Parts: sequence; C-alpha cells; structure tokens
Amino acid sequence: MAKKAFINSAQCLRTLHCYAHTICILLFFHFCLVEAMVGLSLGEKSFIKGGIAQDLRTDGRKRLTYRPIYVETGVIPQASGSARVKLGATDVIASVKAELGRPNPSDPDKGKVSIFVDCSPTAEPTFEGRGGDELSTELSAALQRCLLGGKSGAGAGIDLSSLSIVKGKVCWDLYIDGLVVSSDGNVLDALGAAIKAALSNTAIPKVNVAAQASPDEQPEVDVSDEEFLQFDTSGVPVGKHYIVDATSEEESQMSSAISVSINRQGRICGLTKRGGAGLDPSVLLDMISVSKHVSEQLYNKLDTEIAAAEACDEEE
Amino acid sequence: MEYVNPEGLRLDGRRPMEMRQLHAEIGVVSKADGSAVFEMGNTKVIAAVYGPREVQNRSRQMNDQALVRCEYNMANFSTGDRMRKPKGDRRSTEISLVIRQTMEACILTHLMPRSQIDIFVQVLQADGGTRSACINAATLALADAGIPMRDLVTSCSAGFLNGTPLLDLNYVEDSAGGPDVTVGILPKLDKVTLLQMDAKLAMDTFENVTQLATEGCKAVATDIREILLEHTKQLEFRRGL
Repeated sequence: MAKKAFINSAQCLRTLHCYAHTICILLFFHFCLVEAMVGLSLGEKSFIKGGIAQDLRTDGRKRLTYRPIYVETGVIPQASGSARVKLGATDVIASVKAELGRPNPSDPDKGKVSIFVDCSPTAEPTFEGRGGDELSTELSAALQRCLLGGKSGAGAGIDLSSLSIVKGKVCWDLYIDGLVVSSDGNVLDALGAAIKAALSNTAIPKVNVAAQASPDEQPEVDVSDEEFLQFDTSGVPVGKHYIVDATSEEESQMSSAISVSINRQGRICGLTKRGGAGLDPSVLLDMISVSKHVSEQLYNKLDTEIAAAEACDEEE
Repeated sequence: MEYVNPEGLRLDGRRPMEMRQLHAEIGVVSKADGSAVFEMGNTKVIAAVYGPREVQNRSRQMNDQALVRCEYNMANFSTGDRMRKPKGDRRSTEISLVIRQTMEACILTHLMPRSQIDIFVQVLQADGGTRSACINAATLALADAGIPMRDLVTSCSAGFLNGTPLLDLNYVEDSAGGPDVTVGILPKLDKVTLLQMDAKLAMDTFENVTQLATEGCKAVATDIREILLEHTKQLEFRRGL
C-alpha cells in the first residue's frame, strides 16, 4: 500500500542585514487534507502518482524541485516592511508593522511579536465569510511555533530581546500579517518566505530615550535584525518517494504531511505531523534528511531573490 | 485646515478636477475564472470572480436567473492603523451589498439560470475611494471571466471642500468631514447604477459635484476600455492569431 507522506521543508532565510550568529531555518512540512477542492478523476490521480514514481511531475518538475520563486519587497508603503512572494500560482503578501507597547510583566526585557494569517476568498471561494478561519488559524499557529519557539522564547527565530527599548516599560510590538491572495499548494512555504523577506525589508526607527519617562523618536532607518528563516517544502511521498512543493492537485492526494523547521546549521527547530495516515519512523527520518538537502538549495535561492528584490527597491 | 491652497493645488499636488493615477492588471489570480487588480493612486484592490458555477446553497437557487454574491474584505495592513478584525464588520457588509447590487444591475443574469456568480474583492491598500476601486476592479474581473454584461460599470467619487468641488478624494480629504458623493454609471447607456452621499450639500452644489463624479466615471471607463483592448490583443497574440 502506497504510503503518502508530504514533506514540506521550510527554509529559513536569513535577513541580509542580520548580524546574528545563528540562522534559524524553519522547515515546514505542510500538510493539508483537502476535501474535493480539486475534483480529480481516477485517471488523473493515477497519472499524478505514476508520474511521481517516475520522477516526472505533471508540470515537468523533478520530485525535489521547487517552483520558481518570485519575491517583491516594499509592496505596502504604509507598513514598516512588506513583501510579496509568488511560488508558481501561489501568491501571498506579508507585512510587518512595528508599534510601541509595554512588554509582558513576565518578560520585561523582551519585545512582542504576533503573527496573523488571513486567507482571502479570492484564493478559494470556500474561504468566504468564516470559511477560511480554520486554515488561517492553522497557518498562524504553525508560523508562530516556527518563529517564536517555545514558551520561554528559547530557540526562537526572532531575537525578542532586540525589540526591547526600556526594560519593563517600553518595547516594540511587531505585528506580522500574512494574506493569502491565491493558493495553488504549499501556502506555508510561501508565507514563510514572505515573512522572511518582509522582516528583512523592515526598518524600525531608532528610539532615543530622553532623561524623563517619555521616549523621543528619531526616524532613522534601522534595519531589523531578525534572523528568522523559514522555508517550507512540501514533500509528498507516493510509494517510497517524496515530493517537495506540491501543487494543490498533488496536495489533494496527500494523506499526511510533515512540517519541519530547519535552521541554517541543519538543526531541526520544530516538527509537526499532520494527517491520519501512519508513517514508518524510518520514512520520517528519511524525509528529514531529504528536507535538509533541499533546504540548502532553497535557502540560497531565496537569499538571492531577496537581495535582487531589495536592490530593485533601492534603485527606485 | 486648507485642502485647496490659494494656487488651486490639493494636498497631494493635484488640481481639483484631476483624478489620481489609474493602473490595472487582468488575470492575476490564475485559479479564479476572472480576476483583476485595480489601483487608483494609493488605493489598491484585487477582485476575483468565480462563476458561473453550480449554486452551493440549493435553497437560494433561482430558476430563471443567476445568483450574484459578493464579499468585500480589507486586509489587516490596508489602513494606516492596523485593523484588528478584517472580516464581518458592518462597513464591510454594507459595501459588499452595494457592490453586489451595482454589479447585478449590469450582468445579464437571465442568460445563466440556476447558477451562481461569486465576486470577491480584497482591499490591499486603502487611501480613500475603496468602494469605487472595488467596482472598477469587479468590472474588469467579470470581463476577464467572460460573463455577459450590459455595459461596463465604472465608479468614481467626488467631494466639496473649501468651496471647491474635488474629484477622486483620497483618505485625508475624505476624513475631512465634507460631503463625499460616490457615483457608479453604465457609461455607454448613460445610466446611474450607484449614488451615495454622506454629510450635507446644497442642491445646486450637489448637481455640480455629481456631474463632476460622472465625468470622472466616464474617464475611468475610457481607461478600462483601453486596458481590456490591450489585454485582448495580448491573448490574440498568444494564440498565434
């Protein structure tokens, strides 16, 4: 019986201006159990499976090849940072807004980050009204796990203490908003890449704290030093093979998926398995090593894309 | 506050009767049957049309015409201050209704009985005139989807500040508290399908402002026609004709 496993490796992209030492690559294996969203006939299904078994997918890609990624930064002028990522027909926009706020009493020297993803009905008619809420919460939770690490904040992709201004009194609140405009599979990867690009595009003003309690602000363009890197590659195993970056047709055939966050040093930051089908542990380890391998290439590719986008931006 | 300075220039450097820069792109969401992005200055909206397709809710099926549904959403980051609740608020519901009624008036629904047409509009950047931008984007998306219509529907807004009628208000001018008239017309048939106004205006001033808005709509219609023509030429070219 063919075991289907989807591996999405999220690769974290390091922001260009970050001077942090560790790069956290988040590999996400995104799995989505799509009910009859794409009505495929039996013939089409077997065509997809057969193609995957022979290392030739319907759009001509190999099993472990990503679709071309197109990154555009600075798309939302009123946000502190923003980016738009197109992964094939999947189109997502991420924006970062920085506001002043009070830190949590339990973490007085750390800033706050909140991530919220919205699925627009333009992507899927089923997302209208409250229909997209389930997927939105799923994506937000997955990204939060990836970027913000555990409760203590250890292992987070973003260095929260760099967001603190006055310990216990004032800190930066980062609001990261994602919007899914068009979805053709592998939305989590695209969101991860968009958030990374948006963070690298973020300019937070430098704050000078006056002798009294109130801070003055000097709008100096200070690029954020987030070191979060995220990359999702969807792996869909059919039989004993895994696919990376599935389109929505391929995703509809998935019975389980794994999201893996890998940082640049090749360490696993997080792992989520979704879906009902059981997976052999050896298959799991295999997928993780595959994701490590794919993440490196993806990492470099994304880095060059973001550099190109920012260069384009600066020219304008 | 001075919205029109003594030289006759507005806050963003435009003349009172000058519209903002228009820019549109067709076919951005490949999964949708028709889609378009429409920009009026800094206001940017995406419209996607799904249909005609089978009615999802059988009880609402109409045997002699198509069911037109519309949803208007603003993105979290679209306004200057981040919005906490992007969906389901009263303003969005009202605008969804307005867009639906406007588009329903021009779609030839009797040609597609027992089917449903969904129009989804997403605001990416809001800088005044989102209603108008949404209607214009929806027109382009419907044309891209090949849905039969009586005519294009175009929309534009106009206001009255500092004693001058102003065309195509941006957010600052809109929130000044002066009147804001939004007009939607069928340009070839020369009929008004949408007319909304808030605040108060003297009758003759109202006529002037509405006339100005209608002129704006006609200008948008010319632009939209050009864009559609250009798009069709490209399609022709790709098909090798």
